[in-house]
Amino acid sequence: MGTMLASPAFARTIAGLPWSPAQTSTPQSLVGQHFLTAAEKHCLDALTGRLIPSDEYGPGAPEAGVTTFIDRQLAGFFGRGDRWYMQAPFRDGIPGQGYQSEHAPAQLYRRALASLDAFCRATFGGRLYAELETEAQDELLRQMEAGDLSLEGVSAETFFGLLWENTIEGFFCDPLYGGNRDMVGWKLVGFPGARYDYRDVLDHNGAPVRLEPVGLMGGPQWRVD
Amino acid sequence: MRGFGITSVILAAATVAASPATLAQDTSFAQLERGRYGVITGNCQACHTARGEEPFAGARPMETPFGVIYTPNITFERETGLGQWTREDFWQAMHNGRSRDGSQLYPAFPYPHFTRMPREEVDAIYDYLSTLPQVKKEKPENDLPFPLNIRLAVKGWNMLFFDPGPFEPDPGKSEAWNRGAYLVHGPGHCAGCHSEKNLLGADKESGDLRGGRLEHWSAPNIRGGENGGLADWSHEDIVEFLQTGRNRHSAAFSSMAEVIAYSTQHMCEKDLQAIALYLKSLDDEPRDQPDAPDEAVMTAGQSIYADNCSACHTSDGSGVPRFFAPLAGSGKVRNPDATTVIRVILEGARSVPTNARPTPLSMPAFGWKLDDSQIAAVATYIRNSWDNASGAISAGDVEALRQQLAE
Ligand code: HEC
Ligand code: HEC
Ligand code: HEC
Repeated sequence: MGTMLASPAFARTIAGLPWSPAQTSTPQSLVGQHFLTAAEKHCLDALTGRLIPSDEYGPGAPEAGVTTFIDRQLAGFFGRGDRWYMQAPFRDGIPGQGYQSEHAPAQLYRRALASLDAFCRATFGGRLYAELETEAQDELLRQMEAGDLSLEGVSAETFFGLLWENTIEGFFCDPLYGGNRDMVGWKLVGFPGARYDYRDVLDHNGAPVRLEPVGLMGGPQWRVD
Repeated sequence: MRGFGITSVILAAATVAASPATLAQDTSFAQLERGRYGVITGNCQACHTARGEEPFAGARPMETPFGVIYTPNITFERETGLGQWTREDFWQAMHNGRSRDGSQLYPAFPYPHFTRMPREEVDAIYDYLSTLPQVKKEKPENDLPFPLNIRLAVKGWNMLFFDPGPFEPDPGKSEAWNRGAYLVHGPGHCAGCHSEKNLLGADKESGDLRGGRLEHWSAPNIRGGENGGLADWSHEDIVEFLQTGRNRHSAAFSSMAEVIAYSTQHMCEKDLQAIALYLKSLDDEPRDQPDAPDEAVMTAGQSIYADNCSACHTSDGSGVPRFFAPLAGSGKVRNPDATTVIRVILEGARSVPTNARPTPLSMPAFGWKLDDSQIAAVATYIRNSWDNASGAISAGDVEALRQQLAE
């Protein structure tokens, strides 16, 4: 028993803009949401691994969790095209007009990955895209980008555009969303993360400012153990 | 009281003009003004108004250690309010904590403090309340497990701790000092939150103002003399805080926000000066030096602080006075009872909007992104950095408060 004098259970009657304790709009990390099958992930790892390969500068897209990022995004509103106008008629449009496919992104991925593997099996003696030599993989990517590859039931060029965009997003996103694991993308380019105050380092006199990157949910430096 | 058809000051004034001899005593402008001011000093409106509903009509839920009780309607409506109460009934409630039917009132109604008010003041409040619009409003059933036993327990509590009687001025002190002491211990009931309680809920050392806790807020030590919590605050700082909700040291955001919004910001400057004078006269013992916290926790805490807090409170803890409170030297941060600090980090905070400072600033909630050990680390860091030395907070402390707030 603490005290008998009590204060009101609701402390929000004072005038002013609405404000409620403990209410925040939190980012949706979509942890635990999945869309892709194991075979699709396998193919996607191979594709993104050629777009951003592991090399002397550091880990590449698959190691950074880009496939995890894309998988979660496809399982959410992005994958369903919830925020886009997705009604017929579907025409090609001009490049500046944005996404023109009749397939929402998740379905575009599903069709494109299946068609790509089918194409590879037919063309490369039964091998999947992921099983090709890197030179052949790169060549296929180049053809897709240039619109020179025709895939069954889907525009390879449209798919490439979306894949390229999502790979970059997954490599540089906040780690909260599944990509940019251990902030490898940020470390690569020297981005210090979601900070909003640089007053302490304003007087750096031209010297590079090297700050340990920090994500929305922190970093190793926040760990207490 | 005779003839309570009177429901507004204007009507009252008209009646006075018509028959000055009979009613002038009760409804003169001076008397009603005294009552209105008494209501401000006692903060009656904050507790006796349900959120967003008619003022003084009660039905506001209050959490007590026994369960939730609702404040009664104190407009003069006949069925549901004080319409049938006599002045004597009202005096018994305010002075002795007894309701009209003789039952014992819970000290969630601060009558242990209101008892310091003189009879004339209480009568003036009665007269003023009688002029307010009457609202018919039934109060909800209290949510108490064993109501009867509790009213009996309060009776026992009263016998042990309740010391009725009007304030007795100290003839050795100035008039202003005595006025300050009266406001603090009487109508303002500052000690109701700012003093530690014993197990039965009475102020431990009658109103020592060395800090207390109420409804998951810790209220800091507000003694202003040597070693007191407000030792670094000037008279002007105290007046500014009570009048505007902010000063160069701090801003109010908790239950204190209501005290300022409904009560102290409406007090006259002379009374606020008197409160400041009185608080500044209270010395205290030096505080114990707690052990220095674990190095690793401080290091993690510093990183968490740099990445989450320093943008507003600055890395040297000096803040942006009157906008983002300085944490270096903050009485709330240095309070041995860290409830308020932990709660602010969990839930965020908003400084109280007042007439003088109508635009409040907010601090975001961190409970969703920092886990218990991280909140403990950053709380430990701010409590033991700069010149603060207030001991460590454990993850268990954070977990416990998180659970209580969720209930
Ligand atoms: C901290 C909150 C709080 C404040 C401030 C407060 N009250 Fe109350 N008051 C209560 C509660 C709670 C009760 C009901 C107690 C109970 O049910 O035992 C109550 C009961 C009463 C009662 C008894 C009514 C009845 O039906 O028995 C009166 C009269 C009253 N208050 C008047 C006032 C006046 C006048 C003021 C200002 C000078 C005031 N109160 C300030 C919380 C408060
Ligand atoms: C967006 C700005 C902002 C950020 C970021 C912020 N605060 Fe605050 N803080 C405020 C405001 C506004 C208040 C309430 C008004 C006041 O006390 O000045 C406040 C009040 C406080 C108080 C009460 C201090 C007092 O004496 O009134 C503490 C303690 C505190 N914050 C700690 C923290 C900690 C720890 C963090 C990081 C986890 C943090 N704050 C992040 C704006 C911020
Ligand atoms: C309903 C409980 C309650 C009452 C009644 C109350 N306070 Fe407070 N007060 C608090 C709490 C909780 C805090 C700390 C959090 C905040 O500032 O919002 C506080 C903070 C303060 C502070 C700031 C101290 C610091 O170190 O930052 C001062 C000064 C103060 N109160 C003075 C008073 C005075 C004077 C009265 C009487 C007129 C009073 N309080 C009545 C709960 C209360």
